Amino acid sequence: METATLARPHNGAMVAPHRKVAIICSHGGLDEAYPSLILANAARQSGIECFVFFTFFGLDVITEKKLDHLHVNVAGNPTAPMPTIIAGLPGMEAFAAHMMKKQMEELDLPGVREMLQILDESGAELYACELAMKMFKREKEELIPQVKDVITAGDFYDLAEGAQIIFT
Amino acid sequence: MEIQERLDRLSAQMEFLVERQEKREETFDELSPLLREVMAVATGKLDDIEKRGWLKSIAALGEVAARVLDHYTADDVRALGEAIVSILDTVKALTQPEVLAIVGEAGEGLQHADEARPIGLFGMARASRNQDVKKGMAVLMELLRHVGRAAHAVAEKDGAKADRKTRLAATLGPRKKKALGIERTRVPRLPPHEPEKPKTNGHASTVIDGISFTADGHLADASQWTRALAENIATREGVALTAEHWRLVEAARNDFLQNKAAANIRKLTQISGLPTKEIYALFPKAPGRTIAKIAGTPKPVGCI
Repeated sequence: METATLARPHNGAMVAPHRKVAIICSHGGLDEAYPSLILANAARQSGIECFVFFTFFGLDVITEKKLDHLHVNVAGNPTAPMPTIIAGLPGMEAFAAHMMKKQMEELDLPGVREMLQILDESGAELYACELAMKMFKREKEELIPQVKDVITAGDFYDLAEGAQIIFT
Repeated sequence: MEIQERLDRLSAQMEFLVERQEKREETFDELSPLLREVMAVATGKLDDIEKRGWLKSIAALGEVAARVLDHYTADDVRALGEAIVSILDTVKALTQPEVLAIVGEAGEGLQHADEARPIGLFGMARASRNQDVKKGMAVLMELLRHVGRAAHAVAEKDGAKADRKTRLAATLGPRKKKALGIERTRVPRLPPHEPEKPKTNGHASTVIDGISFTADGHLADASQWTRALAENIATREGVALTAEHWRLVEAARNDFLQNKAAANIRKLTQISGLPTKEIYALFPKAPGRTIAKIAGTPKPVGCI
């Protein structure tokens, strides 16, 4: 067996063009944060350069005090397994979040904090929205240390140069 | 002279008239017993008919006919004629003895409708325990199913008609509308884009030195894996294997042999003890897939 013959490119080892994705996370529900985090992680696993921009309620996902208590909104959600009149009862969101977390534990899915840690370690960059920070009167110190910077929408576009943008 | 003549003629005419009248009276006298008899019989018959209510019925029927004529045009009647077979079928189906028995029974129930007491949700639940109510519900459901199916069929027929219309419009060609001074033309449709797929021969796409690889570059037969082959694949992937690399590759290999499934990055961190960061540092480009390729396992599944 010769290395030379093996080293020639074939279908499986196609030289992929450099890919880059910019993911915007604009919601703070547990079920709404996961798509962003999983997409970002999958991008890194596939060797795609990636950064996540957290804005508006998405800021909760990277806020130290809040990210362990993200809830699932079931009221007014047509796919929720219960009617809105029941889903609107107090404590229902926490209950739904609890059920979802249990389900994810069964599947051995990492929690939000661990997902953010994995993203950071895998080389994905996390950014917070400056305007949203001002609106929610949040300081950079309140965010998790993995957040690289607080940027404006204009900065976002500079960063997203040549990237595919995903809004969640 | 002239007057005399005219008077003569007049008197002659008078005479003729009187004569005729006399004759008529005679005839009438002769006929009258006969007529009286006929009249008596006829009156009797009519009276009988009247007693039976025929005349009123006929008069009423006439009214009905008039009303029908008021409400239906000739076209309606023609359409009715075309549908007569299905109408007769329907009537026949509805007048089967079994159907009539059920309808009769239902009618009896309706007669006592005023005695029924109103019930709510719980009443409904309680009533649904009754066998007759259950059966009735089943019948109603079946009826609904039939009605629904028929409605579907009718809708489809209508849909086919509409479809024909659009097809006709398409054949007649696109219309150019000049609305607000802007001429809108149709944008020519591009042929559907088909991405070029790598041609695969079954599962294996490439055979290198007698070893076949899948379309995405993984070893087709995991049992063919050797350390030497791993080195070669690594070289092709642009990775120079060090002891650290080997630790991951061996962990992935052992895990695959144990679980018959390729480990993803999260699993790799658990079985190798290396943090995610280290794994990405060792295999910067798609670590999970690269490790799977080198370890001769299929592509890892899952998103994490």
